[in-house]
Amino acid sequence: MTKKKIGRVTEQERDEIQTLFERRNGLNELAMILTADKPELYERLVKDMGESTTRFQEWWDRMGSKYQWESAPDGHWEIDFKNCTIYLVVPQ
Amino acid sequence: MIKYLIIPLSDNAVSFCHYNARKGSSATIETETLRKALIWAMKENLSVQFLYPSEGVGKNIELIINTIDHTDIVPADCRDNNRLKGADIVVFNTWDGIETFGFRPDQSYIIRTTTEILINHRDGIQALLKKVNRLNIVVTDVPNFNPELHNGYQEFLESLIPTIVEEYSSGHMVQLNLLTDRIMLTGMNNCNAGNESLTLAPDGNFYTCPAFYFDGFPAVGTTEQGPDIKNPQLYRLSHAPICRICDAYQCKRCVWHNQQLTFEVNTPGKQQCVMAHIERNASRKLLEALRKAMPGFMSETIIQEIKYLDPFDNIKI
Amino acid sequence: MDSIIKDLDTTWQDGESKNITFIVTKDCQLACKYCYLVGKNEKERMTWEVAKAAVDYILAHEEDFQEPSVVWDFIGGEPFLEIDLIDRICDYIKTETFRLNHHWFDSYRFSFSTNGINYDSEKVQRFITKNHSHISVGITIDGTKRKHDLNRIWKGDGPEKGSYDAVVKNIPLWLSQFPEGSTKVTISSADIPYIRESVLHLYSLGIKEVNINVVFEDVWNDGDDKLFEEQLTLLADDIIEHGLYKNYACSFFSEAIGKPLDAQLDNQNWCGAGKMLSIDAAGNFYPCTRFAGYSLRNKRPIIIGNITDGIDSNKLRPFLTLDRTTQSPQKCIDCEIASGCAWCQGENYDAAKTDTIFQRSTAICKMHYARVRANNYYWNKLFRKEELEANKPTQSVNPI
Repeated sequence: MTKKKIGRVTEQERDEIQTLFERRNGLNELAMILTADKPELYERLVKDMGESTTRFQEWWDRMGSKYQWESAPDGHWEIDFKNCTIYLVVPQ
Repeated sequence: MIKYLIIPLSDNAVSFCHYNARKGSSATIETETLRKALIWAMKENLSVQFLYPSEGVGKNIELIINTIDHTDIVPADCRDNNRLKGADIVVFNTWDGIETFGFRPDQSYIIRTTTEILINHRDGIQALLKKVNRLNIVVTDVPNFNPELHNGYQEFLESLIPTIVEEYSSGHMVQLNLLTDRIMLTGMNNCNAGNESLTLAPDGNFYTCPAFYFDGFPAVGTTEQGPDIKNPQLYRLSHAPICRICDAYQCKRCVWHNQQLTFEVNTPGKQQCVMAHIERNASRKLLEALRKAMPGFMSETIIQEIKYLDPFDNIKI
Repeated sequence: MDSIIKDLDTTWQDGESKNITFIVTKDCQLACKYCYLVGKNEKERMTWEVAKAAVDYILAHEEDFQEPSVVWDFIGGEPFLEIDLIDRICDYIKTETFRLNHHWFDSYRFSFSTNGINYDSEKVQRFITKNHSHISVGITIDGTKRKHDLNRIWKGDGPEKGSYDAVVKNIPLWLSQFPEGSTKVTISSADIPYIRESVLHLYSLGIKEVNINVVFEDVWNDGDDKLFEEQLTLLADDIIEHGLYKNYACSFFSEAIGKPLDAQLDNQNWCGAGKMLSIDAAGNFYPCTRFAGYSLRNKRPIIIGNITDGIDSNKLRPFLTLDRTTQSPQKCIDCEIASGCAWCQGENYDAAKTDTIFQRSTAICKMHYARVRANNYYWNKLFRKEELEANKPTQSVNPI
């Protein structure tokens, strides 16, 4: 796997994706314990997971388009929340 | 530096402040203890204030008291008429008898009362302001000063303004601690227990103030060893983070209330701050009213309009 | 040029998060000699009812807890002794914050300081898997076997027995799950000769961040400061000569310490007591765990409320207005090397002449001086090394 620094985002943009990232993780871990015996909550969770995933992808699409980051076949982008740096990660 | 020594002569000696004297005990200070304490007070250049019980004190105590220049604080229901006549400060613990009491211009008066009862005695206070030169009102339930009482207290204070203006206009410069002190002061003038004053209790020990004795706190010294206040800096304004940025100069800054409400002698509870700021703001209105009636009245004094009632809100870290 | 010196990782959402601590048990398998918890016992275990009521109170008062993030902290004694309860509390927190649309659902962590003994148990491991992206775990290992076993001994009668072997076996598993995991090392008088070897040993185990501090209590003997300085100087030599500073960090060495502090501009309190909230088995609230009865040697606990009546905001006022200079003696205000000299509000309270949090304990004064001297040596030596290496001619340069 290679990891190459390809750009940065603003702190505000970082905060946006970090919140989405945190929410997605929270929802995933909640999904492990929330059972169908709480149908209302369960339905809300499923809906929220779908929406969060969409908003998550939209952020990457929007940023990719704004900053024109380098990409690679089979590669993916990663963000370091500490310093707002974007990496291109390519499996070898 | 300690300047005043307060001596409640017995366990049921009148309270002149927020605390209540001990119920069910009339233990009196021992004559030898009192004698030693007064010698010490003279050597330390202290002004002494005696607090008397309703039944007065015995001859032996009287003789010792008269060996030193002092201030007598006496309950209004004192059965010793001479003592009452000679009092510098007379304390009312109830409203009974106030209307018929023979007020004199050379005496100061203290009324101890709860907030609600005070608010309901607006007319009585207005009448009193015409009869006395100095009146201190001491609210005895500060910890219960909840938001429901704020408006009532403010309205009560503001209702006294016309009377005070009328008195001043006619040349009677009556003093009411809750309203006129803030106008006259240029800096904090608080109780200063532990810093400027100290108490010798009937048990022969020193306490920060009578409230600490009656509330069961440990002594801060004995007549044998002298007073030894630990962490004395905490009784000074410089070491009170909320009070040192405050301009409610008339506030008692009661260290006993501080201890009760926040566990720290240098930190006031919200109730004390809000009450003092309602008084401060009413004082500001009084100053405006006095200036209208008497143009140029205390023209150097400025009390700013402020948006808060608790300075804590300005310094939360 | 980017720095090649590894920094200490800052705490997650530092300054932005509320720290809420559940004292789930006052029991522990160990009886560490330096432990400040003087009232440990096997009886005071938090019940589910108390824990649930605490969570309910906190989540129902969102207006009083406006920090953007939260760290739900679980301590003991040894918290993992109560893994069933913790698991239930965490599930409840997740479900309730989601159900209530509480802002903390989007920003929370579950944090644990453990002695590591039952880290590999099935229940603990299942819990970690279930909550992995929201967990922070620190295992306390004090260094080499002899240093660790000097203080961290098993509870019980009979001859003293150290706990090193029971802990070190779990370090690889822990680091595989939390590669950035850091450890906390506590130094008291008897530990000083082993500081250097212990930090190096922890690095060799793969722990990249060693948070180490001297105890705040007044336990220091004559000469301890000299020995301490000597140990840190030797450690500095090792870290620099072997280039360990590139990948490992030790909290004893920091560029920020040892400078004078301005009485106005640098007047903030060091400690976060009062901004945190601790809950014990009885359902009482404390400004920090150190103010609970089992942490105090000489003073009564400072209780700021409970799960039934809520928080008494008056009791928080001293904590929230406390600044550095008001609690410090003049020697600290005038100190030329004041920065980085820490204090613990609870220890200040416990050691104070009166029942106050406004009297700073200065028991570590001479140890701070020693640390600053060694720290100066470390940075002077390290910067000189970097400078020399940066100027070293390379073979590709052609001599004229």
